Amino acid sequence: MSEWSAFSYVVTNLARFVRPNEITFSGVNSALPMLACLLAKRAYPFAFTYINVAGGVDPSPSQVPISSSDPVLAEGSRSIFANEDFYDLCTRGQMDLCFLGAAQVDGLGRTNVSCIGDWHAPKVRLPGGGGGAVMLPTARRAVTWRTEHSRRTLVETLDFITASGGMHGVVTPIAVFTKRDGRLVLASWHPGASLDEVRDRTGFRFEADGAEPTPPPTPAEAEALTALDPDAGFERDAAIRLR
Amino acid sequence: MSLGTPKIVPLRDLAARVTDGSSLALGGSFLHRGPFALVRELIRQGRRDLEVIKQSPGYDIDILCRAGALGRARAGIVAMEGNFGLAPWYRRAVETGQIRLEEHACASLTAGLRASAFGVPFMPCGGIHGSDLPALNGWKTVEDPYGSGETVYVIPRITPDFAIIHANEVSEEGDVRVYGTSHWDRIMSRSAKRVLVVAERVASGASFRDQPELTLVPHFLVEAVSIVPAGAWPGSCWPHYAVDYPAVGAYMDDAPGVLQAHLDTAPEAREAAHV
Repeated sequence: MSEWSAFSYVVTNLARFVRPNEITFSGVNSALPMLACLLAKRAYPFAFTYINVAGGVDPSPSQVPISSSDPVLAEGSRSIFANEDFYDLCTRGQMDLCFLGAAQVDGLGRTNVSCIGDWHAPKVRLPGGGGGAVMLPTARRAVTWRTEHSRRTLVETLDFITASGGMHGVVTPIAVFTKRDGRLVLASWHPGASLDEVRDRTGFRFEADGAEPTPPPTPAEAEALTALDPDAGFERDAAIRLR
Repeated sequence: MSLGTPKIVPLRDLAARVTDGSSLALGGSFLHRGPFALVRELIRQGRRDLEVIKQSPGYDIDILCRAGALGRARAGIVAMEGNFGLAPWYRRAVETGQIRLEEHACASLTAGLRASAFGVPFMPCGGIHGSDLPALNGWKTVEDPYGSGETVYVIPRITPDFAIIHANEVSEEGDVRVYGTSHWDRIMSRSAKRVLVVAERVASGASFRDQPELTLVPHFLVEAVSIVPAGAWPGSCWPHYAVDYPAVGAYMDDAPGVLQAHLDTAPEAREAAHV
């Protein structure tokens, strides 16, 4: 059996996009990237700057909040780097890694967070523009996640292009994609799934040269996630399933 | 607005300044430090056809839709957040055409507010290229007139009738102090025609003089203030209180009488009942 749960797979593989000495950001409605950033701080032997939508800069929160914009994410911060600050940081090209939500992602890594169906007569009105339209094209790298890996979330054609510019990475419960030559390619898959399953459940075509089963969590990664979610409350709330 | 005039008024009088059809830049973000007591008071007073202008509304826009008080919205990202997901009454209001939405990126909305604050008709905004939003909203590009070859989107000025902010502390004269992040409250306070504030409590004018760098909005920009302890309920107001998740959960129940019960149990309603 795999050492991954669907939850630990998503959080840990988001964390693996964090690189040394960079500025990494997590925003609103982003509990999983928030956990990933906090996990990276605990598990990885390198320094990076973690900023978040609560204004925190390398905070030391007294608890991990349910809301990823909760003010406790600024506890222990040495400054308040507020909303206008981090957007401006991004548009002037100094945001290294930015986690951005998406309802649909296409093979170019573009995203829809606006609507299902026609924008003017939507079947589902989604949260909307948010950070994406400005941050996706201007961040050095942006990474998104989907808790459902299916042909309705990973699509050939978006219902609406909210944000263009192309995700550098996409993490789902069964796969990790990264961008190569402007398109998403498969980097690795959950060892409890298979390449065929990933192809079968993905709406866009993708290359998989060099892809392999995702390496298991390191002891440091596993320990960090347990420390952040000791009662598995986040894991229960996220309710992510492999299939 | 002469210097030193006390500006503190009861919440019902503060809300009475907002007429039907007004556009409101609401401070805070999602469930955090929003001017929710005033939003609820607008509902109690039967206000109609309001417009919300906010980068990340949630509970506030949802309850205004639920009460039938909203006609329009300019917004970036709308959700209840936490584990509550989409804002259901807002979602229904857009899907059924009950309200008219102008969808923004958070930063494009900020750019429109900056245009107003800076006294210019439009403001450049980075990014946006490749998005379907400009076509939807009629946003135009300009080429750098100084010859860099860069093309940038420009967002038309957004001037809210009111900025409405929930603050930690105010002086009697209306100076505004906020702890933790200011979200987008600062640019809202500089872009709107009028600024109304709800605060947890009064702090002495001397304390503002001791640490003027903590003042987010100076009194001369503020028209009036109400003191409503716990007024950001069921959201948080750092460091005084956290989100009341059971109360948000109760609000989410789609059953008859839930909205009225929610309004009746709000801190400002219980306070008023004692008066």
